[in-house]
Formats: sequence, C-alpha cells, structure tokens
Amino acid sequence: MRWTHVILIVFVSSVLGFSVFVFKSSPAQAGVSISVTVSICGNGTIDASEQCDNGGSNGACPAACSSSCTTNSCGGGSPGGGGGGGGSYTPPSPETKVVFSGRAYPKSSVTLLKDAQISATTVAGSDANFQISIAGLSAGNYIFSVYSEDNKGSRSSLLTFSVSVTAGVITNVSGIFIAPTISVDKSEVKRGDNIAIFGQSAPQADIVVSVNSEEEFFGKTISDKAGIYLYNFDSSFVEYGTHYAKSKASIGNQAVSNFSNSIIFKVGIKNIESIQEKAPIKGDSNNDQRINLVDFSITAYWYKRPSPPTSIDLNNDSKIDLVDFSIMAYYWTG
Amino acid sequence: MKQILTVLFLFFAFSVSAAGLKLTSQIQEIGIGQQFQINLVLDTEDEEINAVEGKIVFQADLLELKEIRDGNSIINFWIDPVRNCVSNGVERPDSICFSGIIPGGYLGEGFIFSAIFQAKKEGAGIIEIQDAKALQNDGKGTPANTKIFNFQFSISKNISGPEFNAPKDTDPPEEFKPEIARDETLFDGKWFLVFATQDKGTGIDYYEVCEGSKKKCVSAESPYVLKDQKLKSYIYVKAVDKAGNERMAILPPQNPLKWYENYFILGIIILIVLGYASRILWPRFTKSR
Repeated sequence: MRWTHVILIVFVSSVLGFSVFVFKSSPAQAGVSISVTVSICGNGTIDASEQCDNGGSNGACPAACSSSCTTNSCGGGSPGGGGGGGGSYTPPSPETKVVFSGRAYPKSSVTLLKDAQISATTVAGSDANFQISIAGLSAGNYIFSVYSEDNKGSRSSLLTFSVSVTAGVITNVSGIFIAPTISVDKSEVKRGDNIAIFGQSAPQADIVVSVNSEEEFFGKTISDKAGIYLYNFDSSFVEYGTHYAKSKASIGNQAVSNFSNSIIFKVGIKNIESIQEKAPIKGDSNNDQRINLVDFSITAYWYKRPSPPTSIDLNNDSKIDLVDFSIMAYYWTG
Repeated sequence: MKQILTVLFLFFAFSVSAAGLKLTSQIQEIGIGQQFQINLVLDTEDEEINAVEGKIVFQADLLELKEIRDGNSIINFWIDPVRNCVSNGVERPDSICFSGIIPGGYLGEGFIFSAIFQAKKEGAGIIEIQDAKALQNDGKGTPANTKIFNFQFSISKNISGPEFNAPKDTDPPEEFKPEIARDETLFDGKWFLVFATQDKGTGIDYYEVCEGSKKKCVSAESPYVLKDQKLKSYIYVKAVDKAGNERMAILPPQNPLKWYENYFILGIIILIVLGYASRILWPRFTKSR
C-alpha cells in the first residue's frame, strides 16, 4: 500500500468520524420523546380530551354521549325532576394541551418556560419525577424550556424543546432528564489537595464528572437517595491555572441528561473556600437573581448606544451588540 | 497526489457544518403586480443557536415590500422589531433589518419571519441576505459558521400566477404578563413597564398601554416609561395582531389608593355626611323660622 493511500484512508476515516459526530441527535433533545395524542371521537374509547365515547351510539338526546364526545344533558332524566330548562348546549371544543414529564431532583422546584417566559412551576416528587401540563394554547410552534432548582437554590441549565402544537390535540413531551446542578467547595485549591465537586440529580443516578483541562478527566460517582452526589477530585492531576468542571447523569442505559453548566475553579498555591452565597448571574441587570424580559429590555435600551453601563456589557467590549444578547440568552431563567 | 488532495479538500469542505440562513418561496417566476411571500428560515444543523441578526436586501425598483409577518417565529424577543432598515434616521425601502434572540437556544430548522412583496415591473433579480450573524448558545456568543441561501426571481408580464392569500388568523396573541421595573441607568431611574408576547398567526402588529382607565390608551413599545410614577393606577396592556385580534393584560396598582384618596369613596362619604346633617339641621332651621 502506498503512503498516499494510507493518508487517504486515515483522512477519510477521520472525516467520516467527524461527520458521524456532526449528525448525531442534538444533546438538547437527547432521550426526550415527543408524542401526540389525538382524540378520535366515535371509536368507543374515552380518549384524553373526551368526556364519553359510546362509539356508534353517540348522538343527540336521548343518547348519553354527544357526537362530539361530551356528555349530553338531556334534562328531565330523573323521576320527579323538574324537567329541562330549555336553551341550547354548546359542547366545549377539544382541549389543546402539552404535557411534560420527566426527572428533576427529589422535591425540587421545576419551572416551565413557554416562549422564554415562565408559564408553570411544580415540585418534583421524592423520586424526582415531575409532570407539568399547560392548556389554552393556540395552534403553532412553541419553544418550551425547563429547569430545576436544587435544595441549595442552584439552578440547572436550561433544557429547550421546540414543539408544534395542533389545535384539539394533546402533545406529550416525556423522558425529560434535567441536568444535574454543580458546585465546588473551593474557588482555588492548593495543587495536590482534593476539591469537592457536588450537586444534585435524580436518586441513585450514575454521575459523570468532567474536568476540562488541557486533557479532559472523567470521574464517576453515584447520587444518594436524595439525589446528592459528591466527587473528590485530586488536583494533582491537573496543572496550575483555571479549570472547568461539569457533570451529567444517567440511569441505566435509557435516560441520560445533558451536561450541567460549567463551574470554574483555580488550581494554585493555597486553598480558598468557595462562597456559597448567590453570586451575581451574567445578564442579571437589575440584580433580582433572574434573567428575564426586564433584563432584556434594559439591555435592548442600550443596544448600539454609546457608553453602556459596565453591568450590561457582558463581554466587556464597551458596546452592546448581539454577543451580549447571546450571553444573556444562555443564562436565561425567565 | 494532487487529485487525491483536491478530493480530500472538497470532502472536508462539504463535511464542515454551519448554520444556514435561507430565503425560500413557493414561486420563483412572478407576474407583474403579483404578490408573493418569502420566508427567512434558520437551519442550525448541529449547533444550538440563540441569537441571529442580519438584513435582507432587494431591488426597490422591482419589488415593493407590502408586509412583514413574524407570527409563529422561533425568535422569542426581537432586539429591534423587524422592519425596513434605518440609515441616518431615514427608512430604506430596499432592505429589512432583523435581530433577535431565542433564550435557551434552538436546534433544527425554524421559521424566522416572512416578507410579502409585490412585483412592480418586468425584470430579474435577487433577494439577498447580508451581514448575517448566528451565535452559538454557549454563554460566550461564539459566532457559528453561517451559510447563506439567497433567492433569485424573475418578473414577467406573461405570468399570471395564483393570487397571494394571507392565512386566516382568528386567534388572539398569547397570554402575557407585563412587569414594572426601575433601573438607575434608564429614564433617570423612573418606573417603566416591559411587555412582550407572541402571536402564532399573523404576528404582533402593535401594543397599547392604558393607565388608570381602559379608555386612556396610547400606542407603546417596550420599555414604556409610566406616567403614573406613584404606581397607584391600574395598567392595561393590549397586544393586537396583524389580523386585528386583541389580548389584554391587566396589572393591578402596586400602591393602591388609600380610601381617602379615592374620589368615589370620598364622594359617597360626603353625600352621607351631607344627608345626615340635613336631616338633623333642616328641622331646626325650619323651626327657627
């Protein structure tokens, strides 16, 4: 085999490998299944948006079930009753609803955003499972996002789905697995000492902790019954300087979360404890610990205007442009 | 060897992914006077995108922009509303500027907005996307590689295509919740109102803000500086879509009027006092006469 052929094979293999990576399913939607429940009136089965369904017997009074699968109120049905009051009955139109279900952290709050604004919140069960449904939607495309807040008030990264909603149809978005939260016990660790990387996820989940350095290190641990996980990372494996850690969770081979937000720490010559107080979040112009329409509006006011305040200029380039909005959109909480 | 390297280069070049901004339409050959719709679509391929901007440029002597529709857009918030670009304070009739964000990022192929044009005279041309930017959802605003797909068209007097029919929209804009805020860097620290919603049909046309009464409304854009800086009034925000459907959001006063500041209650009290006083004083007055 000539050396050019070897190069060709190696190169094509690497490019093919790259292509496979490129075309894999999106991490933002990995494992999430979107299904649509369509109610068929007249099939004899009571579907989700139906009150009744007697198949071929559906119809006007005296039939108990109308042809639109709502219960007929025929009036005068019970002996001695006063009889119907007359008037017409308009059956309610079928429900347009989206139901979200999945795993967060035990007893954690779960927030659902509809088109980037808070739409509903719920509390996950002790098994970390949650379900949220929202109704009253118009037909169209929606961008929904979910995040959770752990027992220490740390927020997960945002998990986003684009859902096409059809009128009169129930859409189920299941298999959501919210990424773990992540914190470190030291903002700077003395090289050679351990740094604790911890957070919360679903109970008994396999947690992979990744420390990004010049070389990427992976560690594994298992969360406890409360979903808490702890991984002690030996800092002697990495060089002096700044490093990033992130984590993801999996249960069996079926459910895998995205990676958490990255957390930063420094390997140096002394140990400095991490301050657990809520630090200002990037993009939080009004310091209310939320990134939402108020912050967007404040930043939009300064868009392309001279001398913006430093608190709004998120990439410190003395101007407000699309990059500042992109950073804000990443840290969005609604 | 050269041939191999060329093949490798081409193979590699076509394998590199990039976010695509595409102009699409159902027709390419248009009759004079005919209206047609162009859609701007974002195809993120494998990269999550959370911010886009750019402009669409066309030949104003061939095409007249009739309408812009952003209903059902993947963009949640427009930094500037989609409209004709403004240069030195003057609207340019030959370009549309857009910039907006998708909090949390977007992955896949999604509709950004559509423009409805009317063909003015015979000719051929191109509607181009210029200065396009798509930024990754990575917390740093890293630019994604962007591929552009422009739209070529020809206008002929011999073509009589189907008439453009706007889709029917009977749904009001989505429910929304305006918020009152204050920031030292804005409007001299005055209270202002922020609001935004979406319309899944034709798109939002305009907003109106009413302070105190539903009848005292003004056309408004977010952020809107409140007239009632004491926050004692009810605030009504009306979103109207391009088909005229309306959605109203109501904000109760943050500092409601004290009972003695409410003229209605005060009026009733005065009437009661006057009535009581007249009942006691009138007999005395008539007796004394």
